[in-house]
Formats: sequence, structure tokens, C-alpha cells
Amino acid sequence: MTEKNRRDFLITLGTGAGVCALGAQGVASLRSLVPNVSYDAPTTVKLGPPAEFPDGLKFLADERLFIFRDGNTFHAVSAVCTHLGCTVRAEALPRPETATVGGSPMRLTHQFSCPCHGSHYTGDGTNVSGPAPKPLAWFRLSVATDDGQLVVDLADEVDRDFRLTV
Amino acid sequence: MSLLTRVLKFRSAGKAGPAGVEPEEAPGVRPRLFWSLWPRSDRDAGDAVTSNFLLHWFPAKVSKSSMAWSYSFWLGTITAALFLLLTLSGLPLLFLYVPSVERAYQSVKDIEYVITFGRWLRAVHRVAAHAMVITVVLHLARVFFTGAYKNGIARNQQRQWNWVIGVVMLLLTLFLSFTGYLLPWDQLAFWAVTVGTNIASAIPGIGPTVRELLIGGRAIEQATLIRFYVLHIFFLPAGVGVLFAYHMWRVRKDGGLARADREEIAETPRDVAASPTKTYTLLGVARGTSPTVTARSLEAPGTSVNAVPDLMRRAMIATLGTIAVISILSVFIASPLEEPANALITPNPAKAPWYFLWLQEIVTDTTIHLGSFTINGAFIGGVVLPGLLIGLLTVWPWIDKSPRQVTGDWFPRERRTQNLVFIAVLVGILLLTYIGMELRGPYWEWFWPWEAWPTVPGRI
Repeated sequence: MTEKNRRDFLITLGTGAGVCALGAQGVASLRSLVPNVSYDAPTTVKLGPPAEFPDGLKFLADERLFIFRDGNTFHAVSAVCTHLGCTVRAEALPRPETATVGGSPMRLTHQFSCPCHGSHYTGDGTNVSGPAPKPLAWFRLSVATDDGQLVVDLADEVDRDFRLTV
Repeated sequence: MSLLTRVLKFRSAGKAGPAGVEPEEAPGVRPRLFWSLWPRSDRDAGDAVTSNFLLHWFPAKVSKSSMAWSYSFWLGTITAALFLLLTLSGLPLLFLYVPSVERAYQSVKDIEYVITFGRWLRAVHRVAAHAMVITVVLHLARVFFTGAYKNGIARNQQRQWNWVIGVVMLLLTLFLSFTGYLLPWDQLAFWAVTVGTNIASAIPGIGPTVRELLIGGRAIEQATLIRFYVLHIFFLPAGVGVLFAYHMWRVRKDGGLARADREEIAETPRDVAASPTKTYTLLGVARGTSPTVTARSLEAPGTSVNAVPDLMRRAMIATLGTIAVISILSVFIASPLEEPANALITPNPAKAPWYFLWLQEIVTDTTIHLGSFTINGAFIGGVVLPGLLIGLLTVWPWIDKSPRQVTGDWFPRERRTQNLVFIAVLVGILLLTYIGMELRGPYWEWFWPWEAWPTVPGRI
């Protein structure tokens, strides 16, 4: 090995080691910012006994959810606007309408509007005007096997023919 | 001889030197601290620039025309003064603000109502931040209208890159404002983060990941606040600081303001009497019976002045004036604080600060339905349109093909079309801002100024 080669080798080695060290530091620093654990609220939530829900609509602020009850039939519609995620507000219709939702007739008592950018939805969550790109989500409802409470699964979107009869 | 021994020798000049040898004068080494602020000769003034650390980025001489108030309006200096003021007023706030979702709101409330001068400090920080958004945009507009990103006469000018750095600093300023107004963790803050990060998540493919990284999880929580806090107090100001230094360095490397180029281009050199105070090479002496030189009037005595004290005096006036105006305004302008952040209730209407209202307006108006296919306005209005606008702004120096003769000239005929386009875009943004401020009511519905807003229930 000539003098020249040894010098080149050591320069490459030193530079390479420096780049590797800084690179590893950088990767470790950035990786530490990607969360490994999510402490979010659970997606399956007990909402209370079905009998305690009023006929019509009830807004659950913590879950950002509307629960509809018609006799002993329930369904749940998300209150999160599909445009940019603000919470929509419910307004009672002066005269309830009946529409076909998911193949069966449904009495619509409310409409929804978003305070951030003015999207409007009908009572079944269909986007009718404003920037919302799609309808409000519907979530699966079930009855808890242990204490009979209404349970919503916020990770499980369902079609609009979903009804829970208790 | 090392520098140190030279300094020591110079300092001991008053005393008798060893063996009576007079110590040589060391150029650039002055025993008095503020000698350079009141130069007694041109030599002193030149030394002021080269040997005073604080002034080392000044030119030795500066043309009177590029110093004119009516050319640049000193908007860059005013912006820099605002940044200085923001840094200074931010320091006490750092001691008082607690970046925790449980305590942030209360700590801001304490700053506002309990701490002596707290209300004023917060107002200074807030008013200066709003003012900085305005002056940065005005500075950008001035540079555009005068074509100051163009290269004039000197070789190796790279003004276009200073324009790019300027655009980056504009974005940093806006992001600093965004991260700043969400720190109080009130309703404005919470819903601004919600909407802002949902815009990020509207980017196809990587959007949700970007949002998760921004807010440090899936919900807007403590991880979100601390991220935006660290960005606000360290990374973004540090970025602005570094880019500002580079911005100033480039101004010097590019030969000062574009106005100086303009003077030199506009005029053909002619024969004038040689100035008795200048040194010329033999080649500079023109033919004739009396000694004349080929020169421009820019080189004539009186067209340029020493940077110290003339340029420095104006910089001081601009800086102190800015600080004075903001300090006095802040006594009278109260900083708002909305209700504490509440994930359960979106305020109605939920409006962004004024400088983002045009964005709020375009994300509202740009959802496109093509049959059953829908593109969210969050993507078009929140990502594509602003991205295009910023992209176009960034590459504009390469699009602008106007002759170099109009460098540093206000509204020249050769750049009329592009100046009109720029004005049109600016007016469009201002119009959307006005609509957002004044014509949008509950549920972001259109209300004319003479129409009363309906009463909507505050809560569901």
C-alpha cells in the first residue's frame, strides 16, 4: 500500500464515519417523534341503556356522535364534518320529512350544518351543499352483552341500511 | 507579530515604549468601544465598517438614491426590527407560558390579567406578529414592483436566489404566526389546529401520515401542543434568523439594493473633471487638455455617502420608529383570548385569523363534483392552489424576461403586464380576506354588512 492510498483510505474512513454518526443521530432524533403508542380514547364506547335515549336525536359531545331513536330502532351518525373535521350542528326541521334511507323509509327530523365552512347535510347525513366531499359517517351500534347498554364502534363504519332494533 | 502583541503595544502607546520605540498603529484596532459611531474622517468611516463587528455587514459607501425612504420604504429593515422585537418580547413570555394542555390557557390568562406588564408584553408580541405579516408581504410586493430580484450590472449577481430565500421567510413568518396563535389553547387555537392539520391530511397518499406526525398522534392533545410550541420558540425563529443573515449577506454580495444598479445602467459614462479626492489608474484618465476621467455621476462626490453614520442613522430611525409605534399601539390594542379549547364544541362561525381567511374562503369554494367523483376543497383550496401560488412566486425571477435595464425601477413600462398580474392576485387575496372577515356569518353563510346575523344557539 502506497502512502497516497493510505491517506485516501483514512480520509474516506473518517468522512464515512462522520456521515454515519450524524446520519444515525438524525434518524434516531426524527424516529423518536413518530409515536409508537396512541393514548387516544377507545373506539368502542358504552353509551348508556337504550331506554334512556329520547325519541328522535341525541348529541353525544364526547364521541362527536348523533344517536337517532325511532321507537326501538337505533342508528348512529358521526358529527365530524367530512370536509375539514369541525363538529357539525343539528337543527330541527320545522316539519319532519320522510325519506328512503338505505332502502327503507326513515323520518328525518333534523338537518346538519358545519360552522367552519358551511357544509350542509340532510338528516341522514347526505351532503347537499357546501364543500363537504362525502356524507357523514354511520357507525355500528350494538348492545353490550353484560349490562345491555348501547355500544358504538367508532372504528366500524356501516352502510346506511344499518338499523339496530332492541 | 501576533495580533495580541500588536494590541498590547498599541494600548501602551501612551507610556514610553521599550527603548523609546514608537509602536506602529494597528489598523482596525481601536481602544475606544464606540469610536466608529462618530467618524471624524472618511478613513474613520471606512474603518467603522471593517473593524466593528456589529457593522461588518454594512457597505463602506452607499448611494443616496438607494437609501431614499421613497424607494424601498425601508420595509425590510422594518420587518427585521419587528423580528427583533418579537424575539425580545418573546423572552419574558417564555418564562410565563406553560406548554401543557391543562395549564396553557390559565398561564396565558395570568399573563393577561395577573402579571405586571403581562398584558402589554403579550400585546407587543401579538401586534408585532400581525405587523410583521403585513410588512413581509409589502416588502415582497416592493421587491416585485421594482424588479429588484433582477440582476443588473455587476458580474455574479444572484438576486433571484435572495428572492427565493425571501419567499421561504414569508412562509416561515406565516407558520410562526400559525404556531403562535394556537399556543393559548383556546377555541381559536384548537379549531385552527383541527382545520390546519386536516388540510395536511387531504394530501393524497401521505396526508394522514403527515397529520399524525404534525399532531403527534391521532387526536389533538398534549403531543400536538408541545410540537407546535417547540417549532414556535426554536426551530422557526432559528430558521428565520439564519435565512435573514444569509439574506443580508446576499444583498451585500449582489451589490446592494437594485436601485444602485438602476443608476448605473441608466447613465452612459461621460468625461468629467477628475475628483481631487479620488485615486485613478492611468487608464482612467481620458484624453484632453485638462485632466478628465470617464465616470458616471454615481461616482461624483455627493451622490453616495459613508454608510457610517448616514446609513446607520436611517436604520436606527427605522428600527426605533418601529419599536416605538408597536410599543404605543400595544397599550391600546387588547389581545383576544377565546374560551378554553373545547373539542366538543366548534364555535359558530369558526374564523381563522385575518391573514388565513382567504385560505378558509378558498377551501370552502373549491370542492369539485364530477359526476360521482369528488375532490375535497381541502386538497384543491388548501394544498394545490396555495402550492401553485407559492411555486409560481418562487420561480418568478426565471419567468420574468424583462430587460436588465429596468432593474430597481418602480412600475417600468416593460414590466407592466406582470405588475398588473401581481396586483390582480394581491387584490384577489385581499378581496377574499374581506369576504372572510366581513361577509361570512354563522355556518360560513353570506351576510351583507347591512344584514344582521341570525341568533344561533351557542351550544347544541
